[in-house]
Amino acid sequence: MVGRSKGAFVVAVGFGIGLSLCGSFPAVAQSIEDKTQVCAGCHGQDGKPIDKTIPVIWGQQAGYLYIQLRDFKRNDRKNEVMQPIVASMERQDMMDIAEYFSKKPWPDLDQPRASKEVADRALSANHSVGCTGCHLDHFQGDGTVPRLAGQSMEYLEKTTTDFRTRARGNNPGMSDLMIATSPDDLRALSQYLSGL
Amino acid sequence: MVSGVPLNTPVDVNNEIWGGNMNRFSIGGAALCGLVGLLSAAASAQEVKQETKSASGQTMVSPVTQQQLNTADKSSTNFLLTNGNYAQTRFYPAKQIDRNNVKKLHVAWIFQTDVKESLETSPIVVDGVMYVTTSFSHVYALDAKTGVQLWHYNHKMGPITTYCCGPNNRGVQILGDLVYVATLDSKLVALNAKTGDVVWKTDIADPEAGYSETMAPTVIKDKVLIGTNGGEYGIRGFVRAYDAKTGKLVWTFNTVPENSVGVWATKDATGRDMHRNIQAEKDQLAKTGDPYQKLGGGVWQNPAVDLATNRIYFVVGNPSPDLDGSIRPGDNLYTDSLVSLDLDTGKYACHFQYIAHDVWDLDAVSPPVLVDVKGKDGKTIPGVIHAGKTGHVYVHDRRDCSLIRFSEAMVPQENMWTLPTKEGARMLPGANGGVEWSPIATDPGQSLAYAINLHQPMNYFVENSPYPNGKLWLGGAFKVIPSETQAGNITAVNYNTGKIKWQVKTPEPMIGGILATAGGLVFTGEGNGKFAAYDSSNGKELWSFRAGAGVNAPPSSYMVDGKQYIVVGAGGNTQVDFHRGNNIIAFSLD
Repeated sequence: MVGRSKGAFVVAVGFGIGLSLCGSFPAVAQSIEDKTQVCAGCHGQDGKPIDKTIPVIWGQQAGYLYIQLRDFKRNDRKNEVMQPIVASMERQDMMDIAEYFSKKPWPDLDQPRASKEVADRALSANHSVGCTGCHLDHFQGDGTVPRLAGQSMEYLEKTTTDFRTRARGNNPGMSDLMIATSPDDLRALSQYLSGL
Repeated sequence: MVSGVPLNTPVDVNNEIWGGNMNRFSIGGAALCGLVGLLSAAASAQEVKQETKSASGQTMVSPVTQQQLNTADKSSTNFLLTNGNYAQTRFYPAKQIDRNNVKKLHVAWIFQTDVKESLETSPIVVDGVMYVTTSFSHVYALDAKTGVQLWHYNHKMGPITTYCCGPNNRGVQILGDLVYVATLDSKLVALNAKTGDVVWKTDIADPEAGYSETMAPTVIKDKVLIGTNGGEYGIRGFVRAYDAKTGKLVWTFNTVPENSVGVWATKDATGRDMHRNIQAEKDQLAKTGDPYQKLGGGVWQNPAVDLATNRIYFVVGNPSPDLDGSIRPGDNLYTDSLVSLDLDTGKYACHFQYIAHDVWDLDAVSPPVLVDVKGKDGKTIPGVIHAGKTGHVYVHDRRDCSLIRFSEAMVPQENMWTLPTKEGARMLPGANGGVEWSPIATDPGQSLAYAINLHQPMNYFVENSPYPNGKLWLGGAFKVIPSETQAGNITAVNYNTGKIKWQVKTPEPMIGGILATAGGLVFTGEGNGKFAAYDSSNGKELWSFRAGAGVNAPPSSYMVDGKQYIVVGAGGNTQVDFHRGNNIIAFSLD
């Protein structure tokens, strides 16, 4: 992951320079393009992540992106890659970065539409546990609730599983809902949502 | 945590958007310390989500007087308050449309908003001008005769919104020349009634901590009253009064007092055992102390105002987390309660708790109604009634909030107060009720209350987790049982006897609202798009219309140029997932 570490290094240097010039706001000497350069290393130069277990962030809800960056920094959400990257971010950096990516177009990952059988199973699970009650009727999300439609299937599977085992611990409410849903239903949901 | 701390920063119109002043601020700021990154981001956020208002028109509406609001129940031309009047009877005095001619009712006009999402607004009508709201806190002023848009306030929503049950807005209130709306990002906004310009804007509470607004405010004299969303997020709930002219905070009533444990009630209001383990709770209390700070207790709907006694009555929502009571010992006051306060000071007057230590989310959300009722001794006294998720209509003495009677159950009840388990336990009603946030209507002449109900068999699951910093905190899950049929109903209850007078069953659960009129009718809609009129004395269906999207909003009525209209929003519902739309539809005869 050479690109990633180089990006991280650039960001770290950028923050360092900013710090010496301005004192209290290390990030301000950088443009938003500089601040987000490191992200492309994993999340993709064109918004398509380099690995299927890495989520799309282009076009994601700004409130949700901000909350995840905040949670990585607060250690509410654990990730070996993300946590060092956010360590030097302040709240405004996180808001800026979230805003920046939210305005990008959501990439087409070219994932297949789910079969009718899978879709029916997914929609039945949704009807039962009420995903659209928060993620809204096209699974587009809003504010601090993420868009699920067209997300990477492998990332959705990993995430629902991580919520279910509480390996991802920054949303116990989501964990409760995943625990109340069978793994087969969750798999159908991941297939269905990724194909939207 | 900032929960419960008001962020009260009234902003006057000159600090608002539209270029000029923001640029000056930006340049000054940048000169100070090269804070370009910080401010250019803020400015670009403005550019993308800029507040806009339609330049097309002004509304020619005279300032609304307090006297008009006080006598709203007698007005058969305007619809001035969210639930018709301060008593919230939703009984409209016009009788031009009646049981004989309603079959001739037809569409007068349709307005299509820019927002195709859950629509829960109660249209307000003043002098032939209609004010409606949509999801995401938009406000529209329309010509009530033709449906033509006069202006549109497109609220610049902050990026952080945390809310339950859909991005809804239940309407505005108007007093003087100001229109008041509360927003999803927890702000209270006063708009110029003629132009839709922002006059002032106040931050209510921190969205990042789980606070949000979906309710319509209640305006009375010099105050704007507002509750809060957030019982699913570990907030500390409140009802607040803000100064109607300036937006400054006047008083706060915390719906969860610092001493929230109460009397350790083991039975609910209907006298059934709730299977509490009082000793385990007391042990927990000794370990972790009073849980008041994150106990929930949102207030979803307008308070009723008793002008004679200067008191308000509202109901309080569920404790946080909804299903897991193990970490919140005690009765969890005043969640799941009727509460009354002094209007001027916000001081506590009385309360009645329907369910102590609720672990089913069967909370009190449908707004209370002030009507005269027969007391326990048969004498007529001022009363207050509330229709619960439990499926009962509760009838109280307005003086001390005490319970006089509760009605027969309007929906099936099975295994009441079975405790939620890890594997899931089935109980009826399901967690949406009974009666959800839907306001009831009343016809005092018939002593009838009309409620719309949901029947959704569910399994209740419980899981334990600590406070999650403003995230969803249900303490488990409610799962609809796919193999069991859902249904709904419209029920007329005699609140002096507690008996059901009539009931119309509907194929789907009902959520939205109902209006009763002096023409002897009730109007209500369904998630499948049906909007219908029924004979208010016997439930006979007299007219219907198919709107094409869920009619899940409370109807209003009004008159313009001597013609009576019925108006309702048809935009579907997020919580129960009814087909979305964007219509406001007005109906009239000939």
